[in-house]
Amino acid sequence: MTAARFVGQRLPRREDARLLTGSGAYVDDVVRPGMLHAAFVRSDVARGRIVAVDTTAALALPGVVAVLTAADLNGLTHDVWVDYLGPGVDPTPFRVLADGDVRFVGDPIAIVVAESRYLAEDGCALVEVEIEAEQAVVDMDVAVAAGAPLVHPELDSNVAVRVPAADDPELDAIFASAAHVVTETFTQHRHVCSPMETRGLVSEWDPWRGELVVWLSTQGPHGARGFLARALGVPENRVRVIMGDVGGGFGQKMFMVPEELAVVLAGKHLGRPLKWIEDRRENLMAGLHARDDRVTLSVAVDAEGHILGIRGELLENLGSFAAPGSASGMFVGMVMPGPYRIPRFGFSSRSVYTNTCGRGAYRGPWMMETLAREQMMDVVAAAVGLDPLELRRRNVLTAADLPYTTATGLGYEDVTTAETLEQAAAMLGYADLRAEQERARVDGRLLGIGLALYVEPSALSMGSLSSEAARVSVSVNGQVQAVMSSASHGQSVETTVAQVVADELGIDVGDVTVLQGDTAATPYGGGTGGSRSAVQVSGAARDAAQQLRAKMIEIAAEALEAAPGDLEIVDGAVSVAGAPGSSIAVAEIARIAYTQPERLPPGTDMGLEAQARFRPSAPFTWSTSCHACLCEVDPVTGAVEIKRYVVSEDCGVMINPMVVEGQIAGGVVQGIGGMLYEHMAYDADGTPLSTTFVDYLLPTAAEVPTIEYGHIETPASTNPGGYRGMGEGGAIGSPPAVVNAVCDALRVRITEQPLSPAVVAGAIARRNAT
Amino acid sequence: MPESDLSLTVNGAPRAGRVEDRRTLADFLREDCRLTGTHLGCEHGVCGACTVLLDGDAVRSCLMFAVQADGAQVTTVEGLGGAGGELSPVQEAFRAEHGLQCGFCTPGFVVSVTAFLRDHPDPSDAEIRDGLSGNLCRCTGYQGIVAAVKRAAQVES
Amino acid sequence: MKPGPFRYHAPESLDAAVALLAELGDEAKVLGGGQSLVPLLAMRLATVDHLVDVGRIAAMKGYERRGDTLVVGASTPDVRLERAADVAVAVPLLARATPLIGHAQIRNRGTVGGSLAHADPAAEYPAVASALDAELELRSHRGTRTVPAAEFFLGVWTTCLEPDEVLAAIHFPIWAGRVGCRVGFGVREFGRRHGDFAIAGAVTAVELDGAGVIARCAIALFGLGPTPLRAGSAEKALLGSRPGELDAETVGQLAVGDAHDPPEDLHGPPEYRLRVGAAMAAAAWKDAVEEASSA
Repeated sequence: MTAARFVGQRLPRREDARLLTGSGAYVDDVVRPGMLHAAFVRSDVARGRIVAVDTTAALALPGVVAVLTAADLNGLTHDVWVDYLGPGVDPTPFRVLADGDVRFVGDPIAIVVAESRYLAEDGCALVEVEIEAEQAVVDMDVAVAAGAPLVHPELDSNVAVRVPAADDPELDAIFASAAHVVTETFTQHRHVCSPMETRGLVSEWDPWRGELVVWLSTQGPHGARGFLARALGVPENRVRVIMGDVGGGFGQKMFMVPEELAVVLAGKHLGRPLKWIEDRRENLMAGLHARDDRVTLSVAVDAEGHILGIRGELLENLGSFAAPGSASGMFVGMVMPGPYRIPRFGFSSRSVYTNTCGRGAYRGPWMMETLAREQMMDVVAAAVGLDPLELRRRNVLTAADLPYTTATGLGYEDVTTAETLEQAAAMLGYADLRAEQERARVDGRLLGIGLALYVEPSALSMGSLSSEAARVSVSVNGQVQAVMSSASHGQSVETTVAQVVADELGIDVGDVTVLQGDTAATPYGGGTGGSRSAVQVSGAARDAAQQLRAKMIEIAAEALEAAPGDLEIVDGAVSVAGAPGSSIAVAEIARIAYTQPERLPPGTDMGLEAQARFRPSAPFTWSTSCHACLCEVDPVTGAVEIKRYVVSEDCGVMINPMVVEGQIAGGVVQGIGGMLYEHMAYDADGTPLSTTFVDYLLPTAAEVPTIEYGHIETPASTNPGGYRGMGEGGAIGSPPAVVNAVCDALRVRITEQPLSPAVVAGAIARRNAT
Repeated sequence: MPESDLSLTVNGAPRAGRVEDRRTLADFLREDCRLTGTHLGCEHGVCGACTVLLDGDAVRSCLMFAVQADGAQVTTVEGLGGAGGELSPVQEAFRAEHGLQCGFCTPGFVVSVTAFLRDHPDPSDAEIRDGLSGNLCRCTGYQGIVAAVKRAAQVES
Repeated sequence: MKPGPFRYHAPESLDAAVALLAELGDEAKVLGGGQSLVPLLAMRLATVDHLVDVGRIAAMKGYERRGDTLVVGASTPDVRLERAADVAVAVPLLARATPLIGHAQIRNRGTVGGSLAHADPAAEYPAVASALDAELELRSHRGTRTVPAAEFFLGVWTTCLEPDEVLAAIHFPIWAGRVGCRVGFGVREFGRRHGDFAIAGAVTAVELDGAGVIARCAIALFGLGPTPLRAGSAEKALLGSRPGELDAETVGQLAVGDAHDPPEDLHGPPEYRLRVGAAMAAAAWKDAVEEASSA
């Protein structure tokens, strides 16, 4: 048992020195000899037949090296599928470049390769594209209607995945006899992840080695490696993907997109290193969108407000070329019962294609379940005449209910749903705030309180995301290196893994370095996403470090002529517990291990290197959180000010509370942004209306409050470290907390967002008129 | 392609050359000067990741052409720390307060904040948030950034 | 997002600038601070063959007081007006409107002339010029002409500037209190986020005579039409009255009554903009009256 000296500390990060001084290595910083630059010609029509593409003028421009279309590139692909799903599972068609038709505004039609990005864009402006526009299918309801034009003509339906409602006479009976049945429909609008660094890659094919090297802004270099190897028909052991510093991902960079494959194919075809850096307009228009759902919920409640049953129906918009696994219907339904005692639950969903940008993952891709459910809790509370906190109190799972299996078959062992709810209420000063709200109303001020309680299915462990690995070794000089299977794109793995390893080995955290991101050096991993890093990445590091520790103790025992059980490692030296006089430094142990086999215990192999692959004992590790928001609405302009924001959460053992709070904060502000400011809107013809940051509004420091955190640390049972993932949670709980607060201030339920000032002002005006 | 001669000072060092007239200051710094700390987040003047100091003023280098900086003193994030590689007080404060995660927006913030605190040595919370509103961050939710500015203001006073 | 190719010119005198514009005609565009033009070039929503940067013309930078007028060179960066104590005294509206413009980084490069020539319907400086009946000095190889603000702004991003003309300077009338008179000013705007273009805003100025009667007043709205809008009906109703006879809300309602063509976009329907405009006008009017009353 090792003492926690670094785990639990708010240790400043070792990533910071290079990032603060502009010495990070992002993909646009990579320059290769002879490198060319790519830009894409894209469709400005949402649906249509490509009549002609004339590249003559573009090719004649000095500095333009090539202009390639589907005819040149699409036939070069071999097998296109991702590790996460396997072959033939994803129904969504994939194509490198638009081939004969276009299916969304932004659909890439041609790739122009030139000596600079400036010249490539000049070339793009000279490519003449003639498209016979057809009526685009933009609306989900239009897409599912009988006789709707097919977004993907090679499929037989616009419904990609359907999860039908199961026959459930028991649920029917519950609804028939319940004291109250409340039904409401909630819509969530379309978002864009908008990491500050857009996508990008530099691809270099070495014909002499038969090797492909790709520097990629990604969340999963191993996934990209396998994908590219199969797509190009190149053996995987000749493909290297290098993930350097990445400027955020949030899900958008989990899988590769057609443009990236086009760049790799084009570069190989032309025999030159090729760089493509997606620009912001491309990212907003064509870089994978998120959210865009509609859920109808019916809740049956008894006279005291206890939930007896829920029925839900989801319609989610996949856009055209959705990323693998983006159809979330099944998952939304499975997780939706959330933190409450819901005896019976029925759910159905349809995931539909439209002529818009494809859907990808975004921080808690299933979160519509929480957005709909937590809004519904407030709606039900109003319908039965209970305060929203009281309704939750009556339905929340308490310690006495555990272990609990949800109506959808998910097992909770040790969630702290009631505890986080109560802590949030206490931190906010709920009762006092309700009183203040009443006093403010008399003065004409609109204050609102919003709650959102949820459980987060973290550390997703299935398919290619089932495990993570670490190779930890002590070098001959006694310093430690941990080589990790998945790498940070902002979540501080270099620091948190060092904390875990240092604790296990009894050495200083400064003596541990963490290597990540290069597939040539690291073991296979699923990537950073799905709130997996604390549990799986740190879990693997911990296991490997423990193996090393045991071996170090063995070697030391031999050297000190002591029993292993009597030894401890403190400050980089092994000694008999309580008798520090006789000790042996880790550096000395390492020298023995690598250079003095005669001093090893009999039967002990040389070296101090350990590899561990960690898989949690359950497919999910549950975290719990309750968000509480206090807002004030300006009755004239409809502007919403978030005055207080409380996050009361339990993510198990926190390796670095500072990192945990940073992850929460980023997610919370994304939720505030999403519900109040951000809107990826399309017009009726499928033309995107928010393709720059002038129109797609991200919140700034002036729009957000100081977030208050309350931590409960209930160690998880799915991994020995006791960690729970939480990276996505901030973005799951904040949208409903914000919406509920605004609706509470207005005493009106608005079921669509964003809650722009105009929308809020309109709701106030309508309420005043009645 | 039309080109012009250019001569300026970048982080105290003279730079001279010939650039295409349309080449942005940001691209000149990143590619010609190989100072890749200045980042491109939007290229239309909203996100602030490209912020540099031009004759001491914080400006969006994506909204300037390199030729416009002829004769000017430009300071990028690489020019803020000490000669021996020490972090500046602003950089130290960002580190202490976890004011960065992925780091992509960070150089723009650090440069902007350096100028801001020079002009507002004792800012209120509202002034800080106003002063930060020209830079976007998607990772931190601004919590650590606001705390870093407060800390740096205290240190420098 | 890289701009298309163009040739860059940096004349050092106004004469050289207008000579260039005369020679280049339609192929040239004037570059001020670039905060509005360069994004358009980067997105290739605008293409030019020649850019004539007027930012190095010393005669176009700075300001000076000439009698009852503050003459501001068109290439004066916003930030200079923001920090100048004498500008705050001479033309308070300039000093108060400037911090509302975008962000510090934008104000360090953006210029007064650039903002006026760009003529965004939601910009602050055009409304200030309109409220004060500023005179704009336009130069070309044909000579100089002076145009009142009311005739300068023609529509969305459209002014009366000819392709070969440069906005050289702006003459802002100084509303110093005449003997026995007291003045007050207000600038209020509402936007989605800090520093965003206003959904609606108002600039107000009032002068009370020795008897406390409104001797002069101006209300200019922005964001409520293709150009800044003088709320003539409201001004007419206020002249000769005492502050308080017409309450601020009523003034606001009267002011937007003159807005016949409010825009409609993602930020909201026309009725919403008018509602916000009325509130901004009311608040700005209240500010001006309070200042004048306590002077």
